[in-house]
Amino acid sequence: MTVAIETHELSKSFGDVHAVRGLNLSVERGECYAFLGRNGSGKSTTARMLLDFIRPTSGSSSILGGSGADARIRAKVGYLPGDLNMPRAMTVQDAFDFYGGLAGAPRGSEKPLVERFQLSIDRKVRDLSTGNRRKVGLILAFMADPELLILDEPTSGLDPVLQDEFRRLLAERKAAGATIWLTSHVMAEVERVADRVGLINEGLLAKEVSMQELKHQRVGSIKLTFEQPPGADAFAGVPAARHVEADGDDLVIEVDGPVAPLLIRAGELGATRIETIQRDLDEVFLDLYEGDGAGDR
Amino acid sequence: MRGGFTIYRRWMRDRTISTIAWTAGILVTVVATAAFYPSLGSATGDLASGGSEAMSTFLGLGNGIDPGSPLGYLWVSLYANIFPWMLMALGVSLGIAAIVGDEETRNLEYLLSGPVERTTVVLSRFAGCVTNLFVVSLISALGLIASLPLFELTTASTSTAPDGSTVTSPGATAGDVLAGTFASFAVAIGLGSVAFMLGAVIGRKSIALGIATAIGVGGYVLYTLTQTTGDLQFLAWLSPWRWYVDDAMLINGLTWPVLLPFGTMVVSLLVGWQVFLHRDLKGG
Repeated sequence: MTVAIETHELSKSFGDVHAVRGLNLSVERGECYAFLGRNGSGKSTTARMLLDFIRPTSGSSSILGGSGADARIRAKVGYLPGDLNMPRAMTVQDAFDFYGGLAGAPRGSEKPLVERFQLSIDRKVRDLSTGNRRKVGLILAFMADPELLILDEPTSGLDPVLQDEFRRLLAERKAAGATIWLTSHVMAEVERVADRVGLINEGLLAKEVSMQELKHQRVGSIKLTFEQPPGADAFAGVPAARHVEADGDDLVIEVDGPVAPLLIRAGELGATRIETIQRDLDEVFLDLYEGDGAGDR
Repeated sequence: MRGGFTIYRRWMRDRTISTIAWTAGILVTVVATAAFYPSLGSATGDLASGGSEAMSTFLGLGNGIDPGSPLGYLWVSLYANIFPWMLMALGVSLGIAAIVGDEETRNLEYLLSGPVERTTVVLSRFAGCVTNLFVVSLISALGLIASLPLFELTTASTSTAPDGSTVTSPGATAGDVLAGTFASFAVAIGLGSVAFMLGAVIGRKSIALGIATAIGVGGYVLYTLTQTTGDLQFLAWLSPWRWYVDDAMLINGLTWPVLLPFGTMVVSLLVGWQVFLHRDLKGG
């Protein structure tokens, strides 16, 4: 059994609102899958269906080879909701004892994570800032060493230092074999952790791409410098050269596709310097949306 | 039922302050009412005997209850109205908090993300409601029992009947108080269970609370109407007040209708549990 999360034509409607439509997903064990989309695109609804908080209107889903409705399956899952809610009079230590105990985490297993995230355990949940509440949620999700982590916008509210710490923790758990499914609407957030990205828009899976593919697409343009610049038509017929523009001794080439043929041609023409101009990942994200037509739906 | 006791214990712990506040409030009411018996007992009797039929119904008088006697006083001033109402309010509050209260704050969703069955949550929370209500009722009863001898409520009283004969009424005993309190607890657990079921079925706190309150008040209004106007008698059985007031278990001891709310409790629990198992959780 190598599939950790699988959905088949998974759909959920709330009255006339179709939150998720015919979602087909397959996440391998040990994989880090990032589910990206704008606010209200259906990310959290999908997470809530996976964990059986809400039932699909049609279609089905399974996690770790079973149903999210099965408590024995959920015992192997660490979950971080988008907005963590627990009894407000509870202290942080109470929360670890109670929820960790229910999840079967050994007593005290939160301590290394508490130190790592520098959290005060004597404070009451109601007195915690958004960031500290996020830390509590993260520690609770990780403390029982789950096989599958379902994380809804995990770094929201964390400062950059803690975001970095979180990414390191995620990498460690991934190296230990855990499967990670996280949602986000920030492309840069998933760049360092995800193996694969699914883009969801208005409940539809718009596109699935590997992180490697995405990184290739991130190269937006190449600036080539020549001692004797050729004409802009020198790259005609090179598939990746979408648009070529002369700029003094330089040629700026908008790249779309594999760059190897383009670089070979640049070498033949005697290019003396190559500079890559990377696009912002969010631009790539938007391109993917629009390229698939999902942005117009 | 993995985690059932942990969830039960946690829920009870989370309600500690609320439970103490309810207990103190009801205990003060009960003991204060008892404390007024030496000065107000005979006045209560005069007021009740001189009132209209509607007033008698309102006060829960009937079946030859002497409102000037210790038991009659406790019945008229406490057990026929304030005491069961307070317990019912607590029952509804607990029933609403158990499922739908936590659901709207999304605490329940987080709890259910762990290896906990919905059934476990329903049963442990329901057990928490029953325990909480029982403990508050018992402490109130024990407080009243301790107060009885302090305020002459254990002393038999004599009064003159309309035919001129002398009637002796016994003083209140611990058994009377326990019976009356158990009947009040029964009414409260019945309505509390309905509130629990409504919350588990509807998933919206304000709607569930509104309907539960309407059922509680509606039952009382229905009983009062059927007793004062004589109309709608065929509907009277729908109101728990019919047996609660007519049987006056504080005075007459427990009778079998005290089991009726427990029937309501079982049905409410089953319906609430089954619907909750199969419906979506609602976020706040």
